[in-house]
Amino acid sequence: MFNLIRRDIILQKKQLILFIPIVLFFIYMDKHPALIFLVASIFIPLNAYAYDEKSETNILLNSLPYTRKEIIASRYLGAIFYMGLACGLTGLALFFFDRPFTLTDMAIGGGLFLTFAAFTFPLFYILKPGYISTVVIISFLLLAAAGPPVVIFFAERLTAISNFIMNLSDLVLYTGTALVIIVIYGISWGMSTVIYQRKVF
Amino acid sequence: MENVVELKNVTKKFKGFSVENINLDVKQGFVTGFIGANGAGKSTTIKMMMNLLRPDAGEVKLFGLDYRTHEKEIKERIGFVYDGNVFFEGLNLKDIKRIVGPAYKRWDNQVFDHYIDQFELPLNKAIKTFSKGMQMKASLALALSHHAELIIMDEPTAGLDPIFRRELLALLQELMVDENRTIFFSTHITTDLDRIADYITFIQSGKIIFNRSVHDVAENYALVKGGTDLLDRDTEKFFIQVHRAPTGFEALTDNIKDVQNTFGDAVVIEKASLEDIMYYMKGGVHHV
Repeated sequence: MFNLIRRDIILQKKQLILFIPIVLFFIYMDKHPALIFLVASIFIPLNAYAYDEKSETNILLNSLPYTRKEIIASRYLGAIFYMGLACGLTGLALFFFDRPFTLTDMAIGGGLFLTFAAFTFPLFYILKPGYISTVVIISFLLLAAAGPPVVIFFAERLTAISNFIMNLSDLVLYTGTALVIIVIYGISWGMSTVIYQRKVF
Repeated sequence: MENVVELKNVTKKFKGFSVENINLDVKQGFVTGFIGANGAGKSTTIKMMMNLLRPDAGEVKLFGLDYRTHEKEIKERIGFVYDGNVFFEGLNLKDIKRIVGPAYKRWDNQVFDHYIDQFELPLNKAIKTFSKGMQMKASLALALSHHAELIIMDEPTAGLDPIFRRELLALLQELMVDENRTIFFSTHITTDLDRIADYITFIQSGKIIFNRSVHDVAENYALVKGGTDLLDRDTEKFFIQVHRAPTGFEALTDNIKDVQNTFGDAVVIEKASLEDIMYYMKGGVHHV
């Protein structure tokens, strides 16, 4: 299974050269550190899916001595692994360019990534190959554009909920959020496994 | 264990196409050729053997094991070659080896290097720049480097030039020196099989027509030629399919004895090639 995770690096050697300039670009543009962590985390796992949506890849992986469960597990564990790696590298880059950031920024970036991954990964096994990357990229942009205003809109109108959230202590808020994300990620993992096991190549 | 692959009453239905009640045994230590027209169900059957497709009903067993409980053990022992390129086309062979190799416990770099030398394959060129023949060689090198006991190939000779086809067949023969090894491959080029196959499995419209040794096939089927005046309702029963022409008839029989007894010297009995058998079984168009 470790081999399946390692595969992404071999596949993406060339794209990885782009990774550093993109991160540097965001740093140069003076974007919020949390956003930079998010973008950096998405890079490798999403690229990996662009390869995996091809049916040939699935025929290959499923002909090798791997089970379908392992193939999905490698995706979900790999995403966490590469997220960690990307956050580490981004943190270093920010440090070298003397841009202050907090662990909270990193946690927010990572948390957003995991949530995003939880919602998009199963799509790769539901939608027809060829459309998936487009759908995911468009929905990512839409969410990024429409998300904050929508949240603010609701936060202003549903004061009861926002008051409740505001009144939570930081510790409760963070652990609560972390737990919710873990649960969503776990459900997504389970769903993908079920879908993938029924797939036909 | 005599049968490496066992399919029992396997059925798989698709829209507009199905393979039904397939019973198939692939014997250990032999080359089995899997023939049938395009769309007869060869790839579907192979995919079920590889667990890429799951049958709607029936049982698929490899090495006596079930995919549900022993998927990894089974695949560890199979080398696969598919018609098209399934490897990441942007990568070179060295990187593909890095991905495929570690998947197998018994991967052998020395064997791999040996085939790379023998096939004169470049390690640093993207696989998409390879010719069809080179891609096939690359797939073979990858399939043969983990000491697989069963080699499953889907149309390995399709689209290859005659010279490489022969090389490939010679290589397969070399592989069979290992007595435990089994090769199962599909093809629609029947002359490939005359050279190397021990057993022939013939599939047509999703049904296995026969699964017999090459010797058996040669003994049991024959082409019969004679004047059309010999044909009537009774004599036609000896034939699987009769093609009439103004100059006489040509027919396939699996009942050589009766034909000989009935017609004697009035007809010419010839050996039927696999292609003849496929053609007549299909009930194809009449000869001109």
